[in-house]
Amino acid sequence: MSRYQEGDPGAACALVTRLSPQLYRFFLSQFVSRAHADDLLQETWMRIHEARHTYRPGEPVLPWFYAIARHIRVDHYRKAQRRATRELPMEESAEPVQPAAADPPGHSDLETLLATLPESQREVVALLKVSGMSLEEVARATSSSVGAVKQKAHRAYEKLRQLLGGAEAPASRKGAAS
Amino acid sequence: MKDEEIDDVLKRAAGPPPEVDTALIQRITGSIGANLRPVRPLPPTWLLRMVVAIVCAGAAAIAGVALGIQGLQKMHLAEAATLFAALAVFIWLAAESCVSEMVPGSRHIMTPKRLMAAACVAMIAIFALLFRGYHVEQFVAQGLPCLRAGLALAAPVALACWLVLRRGLAVDRSAAGLAFGILAGLSGFAMLELHCPNFEAAHVMVWHTAVPLLSGLAGLLVVWRRR
Repeated sequence: MSRYQEGDPGAACALVTRLSPQLYRFFLSQFVSRAHADDLLQETWMRIHEARHTYRPGEPVLPWFYAIARHIRVDHYRKAQRRATRELPMEESAEPVQPAAADPPGHSDLETLLATLPESQREVVALLKVSGMSLEEVARATSSSVGAVKQKAHRAYEKLRQLLGGAEAPASRKGAAS
Repeated sequence: MKDEEIDDVLKRAAGPPPEVDTALIQRITGSIGANLRPVRPLPPTWLLRMVVAIVCAGAAAIAGVALGIQGLQKMHLAEAATLFAALAVFIWLAAESCVSEMVPGSRHIMTPKRLMAAACVAMIAIFALLFRGYHVEQFVAQGLPCLRAGLALAAPVALACWLVLRRGLAVDRSAAGLAFGILAGLSGFAMLELHCPNFEAAHVMVWHTAVPLLSGLAGLLVVWRRR
């Protein structure tokens, strides 16, 4: 990241190649279609490029990337909501809508699991368990405290436990917050 | 079902990271490479925090001295120490909040919403402990000039703090607007404590505490209007 800030094209290329799949999966786990995920990924990298001076060398790098990616996703969601309230529904579409390209295996499974969770809990679970970040990193990425992240993860796991295994006695609660 | 088992289910469901279209990756690297220049990273966050806190406290001190420090002169030492120590803590927390909001991926001690609630509740509690008097004669007539003076100082302080942090990126603009508003409002509040000799509890609880509250809301409003 420091070399990217110094203007090294090789470092920029390596960052894009290495982090794009992770960011892409983050967008997909937030119920974004593949076409929109492509747009969001491109927009995220443009914003990262414009704001690359705001990264402080020595600080954790993943929360910085995810904070920007999350901001782009939230902006996109708000714009879509605003558009939906302004536009009138079409009575009849002139052309049949093309079915979306098939999602990769695994994506729909994850989507089904995460669909049961509220947005904030879904985001925390995706960052902790799918992106593999620590509690501290997720707290930084989501502009919240470690305690708030722990609480959201705990609540999400309670819901997932009910969904996956019925009401088995929770023997260990450590995993949700680690 | 144990948490570890849920972890396994999530990992299996997620699978390996999806492949990103190579044409898209090439397009992104091409766009970035086209205008890749060295950039100067932001100064350390402790330095930004200190500068912003000094701007806020300095503006309050200068304005207080310019208008006259009748309030400070009328206060007992214990009252002044309690009040200004609490104010210093909240100014520091507000400066921290502003910097955290402008540097993505920063550690957040307190969200701006909680900071606003904590600052208002703490100040009202301190006023209730230190001052007496709940007379309501001339309540509005004496309160409005204080509110006006506090907000009049808050506006340039907010602008100055934004100039200090303008190179940052606000990932949550509403929170950033609120944080800047609270910080600037605390500057106006501190100036009033230096200047205003009216120690009626009702006056300071309502009109002085209203300054950071309204200033924070004004910060939010500015952000919403710019959307």
